[in-house]
Amino acid sequence: MIGAEAMSVIRYRPRGAREQATAWIGMVIFLGSWAMMFAALFFSYGMLRARLPVWPPPGTPPLPRLLPGINTLIIGLSSVAMQRGLSAARRAQAAAVLPAIAAGFLLGLAFLSLQFVLWTGLWRAGLRPEGGAYPSVFYGLTAIHAIHVAVGLGGLGWLLTRAFFHAFGPARNLGLRLWTGYWHFVGAVWLLMYLTVFLI
Amino acid sequence: MTLLLAPLPEKGIGLPHDASLHGWRIDALINETSVYVGLLFVIMVAWVVLACLRHGPRHEARFDHGTSTRSIAVGLCIAGAIFFVVDGPLFVNSLILARDVFGNFAKVEADPKSVRIEITAHQWAWVARYAGPDGKFNTPDDIVTFNDVVVPEGTPILFQLVSTDVIHSFNIPNMRAKIDAVPGMVNRVWFEAKETGEFDIACAQHCGLNHYKMKATLTVLPRPDWEKWAAEASANSARDYDPDDREAHWGWDWSEHARI
Amino acid sequence: MQVIPSEERAAHEELQPIHHEPKSFFFKYLWSLDHKMIGRQFLWAGLGFLLVGGLLAMMIRWQWAFPGKPVPVLGSIFLRSQGGAIGPATYMTIFTMHGLIMIFFAITPVLIGAFGNFLLPLQIGARDMAFPWLNALSFWTFALSLVFVILSLFGELGAAGAGWTTYPPLSTNVGTPGSGQTWMVAAVFVTGVSTIMGGINYVTTVIRHRAPGMTWMRLPLATWGLWLTAILNVLFVPVLGSAALLLLLDRLFGTQFFIAGATASVSGGGDPILFQHLFWIFGHPEVYILILPAWGIVSDLLSFFSRKPANWYRGTVYAMIAVCVLSAMVYGHHMFLTGFTPLLGQSFMLLTLIISVPAELLFLNWLRTVWQGSIRLTTPMLFSLGMLFVFGMGGLTGLYLGATATDIYLHDTMFVVGHFHLTMAAASFVASLAAIYFWFPKMFGRRMNETLGKVHFWITLVCLVTVFSGQLLAGYSGQSRRLYDPYQYTFLKHLLGVNRVASYAAFLLLFAQFIFIYNFIRSLIAGEKAESNPWQVSTLEWFTASPPPYHNYDRIPTVLRGPHEFADPEVRRRLGRDFIGQAEELPEAMPPAVASAG
Repeated sequence: MIGAEAMSVIRYRPRGAREQATAWIGMVIFLGSWAMMFAALFFSYGMLRARLPVWPPPGTPPLPRLLPGINTLIIGLSSVAMQRGLSAARRAQAAAVLPAIAAGFLLGLAFLSLQFVLWTGLWRAGLRPEGGAYPSVFYGLTAIHAIHVAVGLGGLGWLLTRAFFHAFGPARNLGLRLWTGYWHFVGAVWLLMYLTVFLI
Repeated sequence: MTLLLAPLPEKGIGLPHDASLHGWRIDALINETSVYVGLLFVIMVAWVVLACLRHGPRHEARFDHGTSTRSIAVGLCIAGAIFFVVDGPLFVNSLILARDVFGNFAKVEADPKSVRIEITAHQWAWVARYAGPDGKFNTPDDIVTFNDVVVPEGTPILFQLVSTDVIHSFNIPNMRAKIDAVPGMVNRVWFEAKETGEFDIACAQHCGLNHYKMKATLTVLPRPDWEKWAAEASANSARDYDPDDREAHWGWDWSEHARI
Repeated sequence: MQVIPSEERAAHEELQPIHHEPKSFFFKYLWSLDHKMIGRQFLWAGLGFLLVGGLLAMMIRWQWAFPGKPVPVLGSIFLRSQGGAIGPATYMTIFTMHGLIMIFFAITPVLIGAFGNFLLPLQIGARDMAFPWLNALSFWTFALSLVFVILSLFGELGAAGAGWTTYPPLSTNVGTPGSGQTWMVAAVFVTGVSTIMGGINYVTTVIRHRAPGMTWMRLPLATWGLWLTAILNVLFVPVLGSAALLLLLDRLFGTQFFIAGATASVSGGGDPILFQHLFWIFGHPEVYILILPAWGIVSDLLSFFSRKPANWYRGTVYAMIAVCVLSAMVYGHHMFLTGFTPLLGQSFMLLTLIISVPAELLFLNWLRTVWQGSIRLTTPMLFSLGMLFVFGMGGLTGLYLGATATDIYLHDTMFVVGHFHLTMAAASFVASLAAIYFWFPKMFGRRMNETLGKVHFWITLVCLVTVFSGQLLAGYSGQSRRLYDPYQYTFLKHLLGVNRVASYAAFLLLFAQFIFIYNFIRSLIAGEKAESNPWQVSTLEWFTASPPPYHNYDRIPTVLRGPHEFADPEVRRRLGRDFIGQAEELPEAMPPAVASAG
């Protein structure tokens, strides 16, 4: 096999069920932590919005709903793809894993690209961070979220590389499981952000 | 513990002289609490010292986990008692004082004798504005002073404060008054002086390099003297009024932020 | 007696296989995966920064005792350009860095990084943390934050100077432009990440790696304290992270989360008070984060050195949990004077006064633990009793600050400073010393000198109480916080005497620590060798070698009882001593004939 020698350099240690459960608990706590961070960001948004009589403030270019709506769909599909990859691995359907992760990865990439389009569009329309609380909230929250998406993409890319060299299977899917959990989290945060920042 | 060193005015240690009408209420609450606090602390220390002396290495330890119902009940009762006896008065009195005295802006606003002052806190000075005879702010007869707040005795003095840059805190220890000045917000505080004299106004929130000398003077005059001062200052203001000096017209409409 | 099925025991062994001890320098010292080594790394870093923070404090005290005079030694090294004296700008940096260093780079690494790491696996009967790689990463992330701290000192427009609380707009470009403040905010963010990593590890390890028979209610109270601290860390440090992130966005990208009023955009700026909410939602749990390990450690040590079970163990656990639950609900008492609605003030006051109840319960348990005991005044015991003294004093002074009326006068005065120095600085410092003296034999395999320890204790305690009483007194007399020159004010002119006395006590406190440093270093090199259980106590770590082998326990122990089984008459009858280890088998009763003969 192509990568057999390469893989021998990265030591693999089979993990029993107990150790997997430990890793999963760690992941849950990590996500709890990150949820608190995003909760604080949403709290900030809420407080800043409540203080201003009119939101968006008069004279501000309005935020689009279609583009971020499409992005919500994209990241949702991306989560679906990753979850399917995970189930395939658990059910020993090795062949289905790689395409699923690839789809998740590409959709994630598309999400970031469209975020970039969103930002540049609004920037050109005159929405700048110095403009006050409203643009600060928009750029700040979406940028912080995007950083987390980028980290997730890094993880998915790594999983993709691993899937390429060896099969994920029922006994060997801890990394896939953890990153998929993270990816769902990032998607859920986006959904909340879309609802509260763009829709309401 | 140290609070039972109640005022040693000769040494200047202890609560600063209280020249306000209602400040004594805060002082009384502090001193009352200090009695309980001191007592609890002394009991605790005595307990530990006694234990070390009487239940030292030669004493045989008792095999007791403290889990008997009686033991637990005693513990909870003591904790509860301390809570109600010590924390209780603090809580109840604070509520009453907030509603009826220090937070009772409605009463002070309704008092026709009260004097209203708008304060802008800057890095690093206090600028005050009085409405003048017309009772309206931002008009030619306003009196504007720099690090110098002049008020009559025996009259409620109402303040609205803003900051133009960072957070400051308007602090007059001799009047037991203190409130933050926050950019983007209008805060309020009031007191009534019961003596004449000169007192310090200090900044109580770190605001940069010269925070330590952001000092102003509060001058309390007898009412007739103050009226004379106000009339004179107002006349001078009106005479020197410059309609083009936009920056000098920083006053705001009082009633917008009176929150009645 | 609980019977642990052999499959469960085997499962524990499988979960924690014995790893080979590393041989290379890199894996042994630099990227160690061993919690004991990582704990030591945190200890050295923490103690080093404790000294730095202490020296900064000495400079503040010097300024108040001898305003404007050149500082001896430190002045000629660091303040050459100002003739050795402290100017207002330097003063701002000094008190800012003192606070930040002490909280994030001294107490946190010593109590949580060092003792958390060292003790948790040992006390629960585990071989290591759940995630050894994450553990190593948490230390090096912490080290990275130290680099940021040092970088912040060299900013062109000066180092950080907005107070440890970093309130905007002072901490934004409006109040403190320049890279110094920015690097410092980034340092706090990075150290927060390190703390969260550690927290994830500690929480998971205690959940998953407890030895067979080690039920929740048999954990040493030190473990409970450290575990609850980790939970608070995991929940609330991220809130600080978000505040720091938003502040960085304001400083670096021109956003206006915290800029308001005249300096904000016309269309509606942000809110400086928002930062205070975020900061204190973290900040109040943070003070419990810093004290919970101390509470736990002292609860155990008081029992150990009274040779008596800890009074109502469950009560102590419930009290600590209650404090954790309430910790984020009381934060508004830091903001009583910001002008928020009176209803918020009343609610926060009520909750703040309520949180004093579990603390009272802790005290009652401590007092009743030592009563009717057989007290041995060893150095760790003295420091534990010292903790009761300073925390008692400090905790009681908190009452005045939790009530809105009395807080009007006392807010932002040195009274607040005295309060938190007693409860946070003195109590944690004293508890850290108790912990160091107590676990030194286990960590380093040698004993520290008891006499020097006792001398160190008495001087330290008297000095701590004097300095911080001086602060309380100054604040009660009206001295505000963070004043470069308090004597400007008529109502403070006479406080020079009080401040001088407090300063002399502070200088003596500094010198007294050299007794400790000497004792520590000498004992490391030439101290009497320690056996496994020199203090004759019951928790698991004392039943393996001093220091423990790389894998901690040759065989994972099976726990049979709680951690405070002292003075049990059955034990005395059958084992001939007043304590029994948590995993120690109690032999069958001897036949009456043999017993009476022996």
